[in-house]
Amino acid sequence: MTDIPISPPLKGSLLTSFRTKFIALLGGAVLASLLLGGVVALWNVAKLSRDASTEIETGLTKASEGFLESYIDMTAQRADLMFARTFDQVNMLANFTQRLVDDPKLGRDLGALLNDNTGFQDSMVYDAQTRWLQNRSGEPSVISVWSYLLDGNGKMRADVEQAVRDSTSFDLVAPSLMETGQSKLQMYYVGPKERPIMRTVPYSDQAQNFDKLYPGHNDKNWWDFFFPGVYEAWQQWLKDPASRPVANDITVLAPYVDAITGQLIVSYFQPIYNKSRSDVAGMVGVDITLDQLTQLVQGVKIADTGFAFLAQQNGNVLTVKGEDEKLLGLTEVSAAGTGVTSNERSLFKSSFPDIANLRMPRPGATTISKVTVQKDGNPVGLLVVMHPLQPINMWQANGGIGAENLMLGFVVPESEVYASLYGAQKQIDTATNRIVKGILASVLGFLALVMLLSIPLSRRFTAGLVGLADAAGRLTKGDYDVRVPVKGRDEVALVGTAFNSLAREIRDHTEMLEHRVSERTGQLASANDEIQRLYDKMKDENLRLGAELDVARKIQMMVMPTQSELERIPDLDIAGFAEPADEVGGDYYDVLYVPGGAKIGIGDVTGHGVESGVLMLMVQSVSRALYERGVTDPREFLDVLNRSIFKNVERTRSDRHLSLAFVDYADDQATISGQHEEVIIVRKDGEVERLDTMDLGFPIGLEENIHDFLASVTVPFTQGDTMVLFTDGITEAESEDGKLYGISNLIASVKRVHAGTAGAIADTIIADVRAHIGKQKVHDDITLVVLKHR
Amino acid sequence: MEIKTGEYNVWNEGSIIHYEGTLRLSGTDAYQPILDLMQKVLADKPENIVLDLTQLEFLNSSGINLLAKFTIELRKHPDLPVKVLGSTKIPWQSKSLPNLQKLHKGVELVIV
Repeated sequence: MTDIPISPPLKGSLLTSFRTKFIALLGGAVLASLLLGGVVALWNVAKLSRDASTEIETGLTKASEGFLESYIDMTAQRADLMFARTFDQVNMLANFTQRLVDDPKLGRDLGALLNDNTGFQDSMVYDAQTRWLQNRSGEPSVISVWSYLLDGNGKMRADVEQAVRDSTSFDLVAPSLMETGQSKLQMYYVGPKERPIMRTVPYSDQAQNFDKLYPGHNDKNWWDFFFPGVYEAWQQWLKDPASRPVANDITVLAPYVDAITGQLIVSYFQPIYNKSRSDVAGMVGVDITLDQLTQLVQGVKIADTGFAFLAQQNGNVLTVKGEDEKLLGLTEVSAAGTGVTSNERSLFKSSFPDIANLRMPRPGATTISKVTVQKDGNPVGLLVVMHPLQPINMWQANGGIGAENLMLGFVVPESEVYASLYGAQKQIDTATNRIVKGILASVLGFLALVMLLSIPLSRRFTAGLVGLADAAGRLTKGDYDVRVPVKGRDEVALVGTAFNSLAREIRDHTEMLEHRVSERTGQLASANDEIQRLYDKMKDENLRLGAELDVARKIQMMVMPTQSELERIPDLDIAGFAEPADEVGGDYYDVLYVPGGAKIGIGDVTGHGVESGVLMLMVQSVSRALYERGVTDPREFLDVLNRSIFKNVERTRSDRHLSLAFVDYADDQATISGQHEEVIIVRKDGEVERLDTMDLGFPIGLEENIHDFLASVTVPFTQGDTMVLFTDGITEAESEDGKLYGISNLIASVKRVHAGTAGAIADTIIADVRAHIGKQKVHDDITLVVLKHR
Repeated sequence: MEIKTGEYNVWNEGSIIHYEGTLRLSGTDAYQPILDLMQKVLADKPENIVLDLTQLEFLNSSGINLLAKFTIELRKHPDLPVKVLGSTKIPWQSKSLPNLQKLHKGVELVIV
């Protein structure tokens, strides 16, 4: 008798008892509702903080950008005002000079009057070495007359002498103008192209300095040497005032930093015209330091480290401090200009792509761009605000005169603009954290309280049940006399009463039951023995079946042609390969030695497994018998073979047939008969011939008489030729994605290696087919025969 | 009647029997339900019979055997016109279907 395990729990364990479940249920319900409440509260707090941040950010962005826009606008207006004031001064000097040109008598009289006064006499001295004429020092202005305005003896042409005298009146006005308004380096008058004398206030060694700095100037017209194109542009303006880039005669040279003083300097020119306004009659010019503008720009302070810079339209930054220059990634490039050599720092050549990609705003517009630069290896976000100043006419050495918008830029680190936003966000985060912690603490506190209260409560609820469970445990142990005390009238009391009566009945039935159990156990044991016996028998049967399959496979392999047989065959190098899909294959191939040649057969029985294998064996045996009997005609061979197989198939009620073809080789000729797959021949020179066998026969074993369908074809097969016979297991080999290997792949494989031995060709084909199949299931037997004419 | 699986479908509309997909069943027994369907169509004594194989992309040798056996059976009804529809796009069809005509002269083979 076998043991029947019966071991119900005598008493509920701590984890599974009703009380634990009760407490867990209560605790779970409380926890769930608290958590739900907590999650809702948290979600709302999170949303509130998100909304507040967004709101603050939007407001701050708007306010900051508004502030920056008005600040830059105001600064630009102040800068424009500075330019306007300078314009006024240049204008004043130009108007005075123009007045004298328009009234030559007044100019001449004024000149003559002044010449009578000490200090205005212009006692000219000729320097034979350097070939120019210049007045002595001690006078208000220096006037230089170039070699090409003098005769061989250093004497001025009459008209030049007159012009020098006429221009004396410049000394009257320029010194007083020098002292008013912005600090000026010098003011000067230059005559028209036919006599470009140059009078400059204050007095300096003008011609000497020119000789030092600009060798060759004394032999070339002043205008063409220093400012090519300016004069001609002005002549054009006179003809067509609309051609001025900016509607103003004042022309400014590109600002440059003076190498000696480090000051930013701008030269302002204004042309003087002749009385009839048909030509240019010279110009007045003022060199002004942009100190005030520089101070204005460098005085801009935004937040902690925000700063301003001034740039040209081409990106060249004119004023910026050293550390700010580094922040913008500017590098200095030496640039040659006329009259000066200065440094260029272009925004567009900044080492930071964001800065280099900045675009100048349209005239009048303000742009605010957010860019990222690297500072001490860390990315820093910057706000770049740009606003152009009023356009001015600017002459550049290579570009002539064009409209130039100097551009004012503000740069502020984003962290400073949004400092208060980040502060607010941090405070919101802190508050959120506090709320989360508060909610978590209250959830846990409530839970603890509920658990504490539920323990005594549950004890009272479950006391009756515990008594019942205890009694039931004792009943299980075989104590059939157990009874539970029944108190009250609730459900537990009713169960108690029922339990007591059940216990009584159980006691009554126990003895009879024990008897029955022993009877049944005996029956089960004998059934078990029977099952074991059957199981052992089935195991034997399986082994036997396996052994039979093994034998069938072995027989099949045994009748395959051996290597020594193959080697006996003259002319031909033959390699065969056969691999069944099941234990036993349905493919057939055979090579029979025939004096002077060979008979090679290849076929495919429908289906595979033992039955197909047996049919294949029949084909092999009948073929061998026919050959031994001396049947040599291919048609007769197939006809007799078919009849034998047909009858055997009929007798065995085997529902199978096969395709079958033979190749008879002798004396460099191959005769092919029977219906099977195509026969591939690759000639020695690589030419491929495909021989269709559909009309050479008929499936074997399907019809009793196939004589009418049989035919044969003979082809030459000579030294170096290769013939490949195969079954559809090769052409229909399926890859993992369901593609068939196909005859074109097969032909390609053969062609690739047809010069090799039959064995090498067969190995290559099989390797290619296996690579195609990959991990896919092999559906069909794979058989291949390669013939190579030695 | 119809036999439908993921891989292949065989059904008839009157005396037209349609084959579709890839038929690679192992052995004659596995092909029995399809043969039953074909014989049922024949048993209904139709005026003609059409085997539409134009959508049958693959048929293994046991399947070809089935078609051959059925064709042999059709010879017992010499007056019943039989039409086999095939496709030139499917390599096995132009290779194997002409055999059906050799088995039974009454088979009209249309391979397009």
